[in-house]
Amino acid sequence: MGNLIWHEYARFVSLSATTYTIWSAFWGFFYRKFFWDFVGGTIRAPGGIQPASNVAFLITIIVKAPVVQILSMVLGFGLLALDYPAPFLKGTSIYRSFVFRIVLLILQAFFAILYYQGTNGALWSVIAAGCFMRAQMLGEKMEEAKNNRGRGGKA
Amino acid sequence: MGESWFRREFLTPRRLIFNVIFYGIHLFLFAYGWHSQETNKKLAALNALTWSVWTSRGAGLVLAFDGGLILIPMLRNIIRVVRPRLAWLFPADENIWFHRQVAYSMAFWAMVHTTAHYVNFFNVERTQVRPVTALDIHYKQAGGVTGHFMLLIMVLMYTTAHHKIRNQCFEAFWYTHHLAFFFMIGLYAHATGCFVRDTPGPAYIPTFPFYDTQHCLGYMSWRFTIWPGIIYFGERIWREIRARRSTRLSKVLVHPSGAMELRIIKPSFKYVAGQWLFIQVPDVSGFQWHPFTITSAPEDPYVSVHIRQVGDWTQGLGERVGAGPSVVAALTQAAMGGKEKDESVYGTRGDFVELDPGHSARALPTVRIDGPYGAPAEDVFKVEVAVLIGAGIGVTPFASILKHIWYRQRKGNLGSLKRVEFFWVCRDAPSFGWFQSLLQEVEAAQVDPNFLRINIYLTQKIGEDMLWNIAVNDAGAEYDPLTLLRTRTMFGRPDWKAIYGRMRQAVETGQYLPGSNSQLRTKVGTYFCGPGVLAKSIKEACVHNTSANVEFSFAKVRRSIGASISSHSTRTLQEHF
Repeated sequence: MGNLIWHEYARFVSLSATTYTIWSAFWGFFYRKFFWDFVGGTIRAPGGIQPASNVAFLITIIVKAPVVQILSMVLGFGLLALDYPAPFLKGTSIYRSFVFRIVLLILQAFFAILYYQGTNGALWSVIAAGCFMRAQMLGEKMEEAKNNRGRGGKA
Repeated sequence: MGESWFRREFLTPRRLIFNVIFYGIHLFLFAYGWHSQETNKKLAALNALTWSVWTSRGAGLVLAFDGGLILIPMLRNIIRVVRPRLAWLFPADENIWFHRQVAYSMAFWAMVHTTAHYVNFFNVERTQVRPVTALDIHYKQAGGVTGHFMLLIMVLMYTTAHHKIRNQCFEAFWYTHHLAFFFMIGLYAHATGCFVRDTPGPAYIPTFPFYDTQHCLGYMSWRFTIWPGIIYFGERIWREIRARRSTRLSKVLVHPSGAMELRIIKPSFKYVAGQWLFIQVPDVSGFQWHPFTITSAPEDPYVSVHIRQVGDWTQGLGERVGAGPSVVAALTQAAMGGKEKDESVYGTRGDFVELDPGHSARALPTVRIDGPYGAPAEDVFKVEVAVLIGAGIGVTPFASILKHIWYRQRKGNLGSLKRVEFFWVCRDAPSFGWFQSLLQEVEAAQVDPNFLRINIYLTQKIGEDMLWNIAVNDAGAEYDPLTLLRTRTMFGRPDWKAIYGRMRQAVETGQYLPGSNSQLRTKVGTYFCGPGVLAKSIKEACVHNTSANVEFSFAKVRRSIGASISSHSTRTLQEHF
């Protein structure tokens, strides 16, 4: 499609997805809920869904202690630093690697899909990962930032 | 970015007023939405959810407002009709800018609204104020489904609308932005299903609007927000109809600089100088409409646009008319070769090649044009002195304006216009060969040497060869070695304060406009097209030099809105659409 540079596009999606995920993880600290608790769960009024006993471990790391949310948030900040990019990452081999990003984004989607607030972040992360995959498949390369060049349109 | 954010947003009166009104309305609606939910006795059960439901309702009302507003700047035909009457309110073509402001605001409030709802549904499930689970509301009810769907569409639309992506691949932006159709459907359907109600289950009725207004207590905002949507849809259909009126591509000229000039004949197409149009070539793409500045004058028997082959679509068009990149490259080379014989390193004499459809295997493609859009530049005839300043690609609207002035000059119908100062600030003139040839025509046609003055400023750094070329060839030559105009090219950036200062002095001493009465205030109108930073310094020069005898006014001709010749190039600042 056109002259679209997929990794540059993927970056925007990734930044959106990651920002959303960080935000969702933040709210996940206060309103803790296992996303998949409806599988085998029973509804109690009041009290909401009581998850099935076979997911007790996930309840422990999501509801009892927000471990997944914390991991998701940390990973999110990591991805944000990578994609923004943070000055210390710019120009490193990690920064230029699409595969690394794809792995991180899939991991982020995996964490985010586990808790209640993370669904959209997870979906968008997968989309971003898909765009990076497309970039990888097309053999795109991350260009070094052009030094000493102002933005267009400056007088 | 040159100036601080604070200065730009708060210390510019017009911007300050906009910010206060625009964001003021948003905050007011948020507060009102919050308050009306919190104090509604009927919704006491929902109010047990406290701040999160108040927030979601407030933000929901704001989003309804934004949803109604977002399409309004896109009602191009209505804007074109209304604008002249509201010119005092909207100084220039700022509709895309406004569209973006609404979009930014929408993204922010969507975040607030969604976050609050995530808390709401969590608590609904916990307290069972309604007999549903959180995920039921998210993924089974109309509000939740459309909401998530709209968020997804927003991600796709916002990311592809980034100027980087738009420049790389206009198609990606163009097609993705049409998801707006589904977005608007989602918006109008978002509050269906009697979502805000005082009963545990929805209260439906069998007749329109299918919900019981006694129990369904939403803001019913769709009743208002749907109208811009309907009008916009109508406009798109109208544009389709209008575009199908008889149109013929009569000629394709290829200029040595690589620009193609399409001359189109469409009797039903009426326009004025300075406007732009959308063009579609079904053979290249049946869906895409691309914006270009009109480069012909209304008096010309045809409508012309100049297109440089820089993007996918423009190259496809080049291939289709038999002037693909290879042909253009050959032409350019031939021109360069010919030029060497002339012993001038830069500048081509603007000899274009007409593509003869009789010789090629295929006839010229069908084209459709839609428009015109944008502010007319008729004001130039209301001032005594018009200063036209084009920067870089921003020079394109002036092709039409200069031609138009020339036609009116021949007819002796110049209004109060006595002199024209044309400034062209660009990095490298040779890439605008086609414009040079136009300038040559206009310059050559001048009877009064003082009527039109062309000032060309080259801002690029000059190599040694070029320096010598200028030094040797320029002295005593009739034409400027770079532009091949009689006018001399100047180098470096123009000092606007000095230029305007000299102009004011000349006017005041009566040298500039012979016979002008010093009792009357001379009006000098500046029309600028180019980047904002430059606009600012010119505007300052205008304000600085306005005196009792001379009034300098400043106006922006559309900001190189995509419509520029290289509408899909990567270098120009563009506001597409």
